[in-house]
Amino acid sequence: MTTAQVQEWLVAERAADDTRLRWAVDGFRCVALLYACLFFWRDSQLYRHPTGGWLVLAALAAWTAFLVLRPDRSAPIRVADLAIACSAVVATRMVDDPVRIAAGASTLPAIWPASAVLSWAVWRGWRTGLAAAALVSAADLVENGGQLRDATLNNILLLLLAGLIVGYAVEIFRAGRRDLARAVAVEATTRERERLAADIHDSVLQVLAYVRRRGDQVGGEAAEIGRLAGDQEARLRALVATGPAVTPEAGDADLRATLGALAGVRVSVTGPAEPVLLPVGVAHAVAAAAAAALDNVARHAGPQAAAWVLVEEEQQTVTITVRDDGVGMSAGRLDAAAREGRLGMAAAIRGRIMDVGGSVTVVSAPGEGTEVEMTIPRSGPPTTRDEDGMIR
Amino acid sequence: MTRVMVVDDHPMWREAVARDLGDAGLDVVATAADGAEALRRLPAARPDVIVLDLQMPVLGGVELTRQVVAAHPGVRVLVLTASGEHADLLEAVKAGATGYLVKSSSRDELVDAVGRTALGEAVFTPGLAGLVLGEFRRLAVAAPPGGNDGTPRLTDRETEILRLVAKGLTSRQIADRLVLSHRTVQNHTQNVLTKLQLHNRVELTRYAIEKGLDTDHPG
Repeated sequence: MTTAQVQEWLVAERAADDTRLRWAVDGFRCVALLYACLFFWRDSQLYRHPTGGWLVLAALAAWTAFLVLRPDRSAPIRVADLAIACSAVVATRMVDDPVRIAAGASTLPAIWPASAVLSWAVWRGWRTGLAAAALVSAADLVENGGQLRDATLNNILLLLLAGLIVGYAVEIFRAGRRDLARAVAVEATTRERERLAADIHDSVLQVLAYVRRRGDQVGGEAAEIGRLAGDQEARLRALVATGPAVTPEAGDADLRATLGALAGVRVSVTGPAEPVLLPVGVAHAVAAAAAAALDNVARHAGPQAAAWVLVEEEQQTVTITVRDDGVGMSAGRLDAAAREGRLGMAAAIRGRIMDVGGSVTVVSAPGEGTEVEMTIPRSGPPTTRDEDGMIR
Repeated sequence: MTRVMVVDDHPMWREAVARDLGDAGLDVVATAADGAEALRRLPAARPDVIVLDLQMPVLGGVELTRQVVAAHPGVRVLVLTASGEHADLLEAVKAGATGYLVKSSSRDELVDAVGRTALGEAVFTPGLAGLVLGEFRRLAVAAPPGGNDGTPRLTDRETEILRLVAKGLTSRQIADRLVLSHRTVQNHTQNVLTKLQLHNRVELTRYAIEKGLDTDHPG
């Protein structure tokens, strides 16, 4: 599956899950309506206004039919559902005999209002489920004049439990779905990358590397073409070797990939085989600082200078070193330049690295090149991996 | 004269590398388009050095390295690849390859690397040094505390030298900076690879014993 197909599949699965849950709630709703009708048919003689009772039940049946036929479950519909359930409970007070109500008779809609509570639990989990249960319970208390009888108390507890448990179960179910979806997406991305990497290796990289090499051998204008090809080759190699820089879920970026974009014929980027993860903002600050250091190399180190970028990951820190083999400078000149604020390095590198809590050391000597070492603390516990190699 | 075998599935590259090595006075005794062909030709060709690409059909570079090192311990393996597949490269080095170059390296660099590989020297590019440093750190983090479990560790000097290699210094520059002889620097880099390869062999043997395969594969 390609990434796009995975996305489609995820959307379809999610919609299918919602439909299944809706059918479960609506199934209960229909059975509950039938139950309420049978109850009322048996006891209608005891009501003070039987016709009013039938009218309320007819309204409930119409609303039930409307919901079954209409898949849309937007917020206004859910609010209306709950309002109708509460109204039906309170309406019992107007159509039933006060003596019966005082004796703790069942409400007119019986267990039908629980379907609204279930619907709310399915909507946003246990919080909405509990809220709906609380509202229906309040309607129960209004209906019987605020008497907290054992039967009423039991009903209220059952309603609250239903809202809580069903809501919680739905949340767990959805979280499991999300984990599965994420695993599928990660696997699809990895497989797509591997396929692309194999293709690119077989074609583009081979040719770019060949052009670079032959251009060097032929010399002259061809050498320039070769250099251009070589820059692209180095960047492409870094790209297929590390995969995407940013992992979509965790908000972390792989420093090897962000720095890999800086690779070229004169710049080699080196690091471990495993991703070096830093929060996206930190990784971008580091990349900008490294780019500034390389910019400095291009401007001051001399036309033939080459540069190396090394990424090292230790338990508490990540160290990035940018070294060049250019003309270098004396310690005095380095300080003087920093004092005058003339050196772009001072502001561009130190500023960015210190912003993310790191430190910078610059070592240079005439004829020895310049070495900029940036050390970044790793905030929080080191990333752990589970058995599947998924980064948590 | 150094006898060299070139293994690459890309005809363009196979010929270019063979020609460059031949022009430089090396004896290219055979070429092969994949690992299986290389293994077939190996006994007759008797190369000193195999220059191989990692990603090849039929039998890839990692598996070829493993089989060559097991069956012909005298043959040195130099990886020459266009790919940046770090995991494969690390596997090849653990399996016994002693050097690595990217394909965009110049002809002089290639000839020099083949010559040094033939002499038994490790050819450490900055890229390989960075990977090996990372691998030792990974092993150290994964190892149970106590430190007496056979997990290979770098000495401070080895770490220092490896970092300098990864930062692009040549072994001469490293020798100057650390006030060591060139030979000593070479020995250190060599030791690093040997540690990694020995550890890999121990791990494979342990795995084989756990799976009850030790009677078939004595290590």
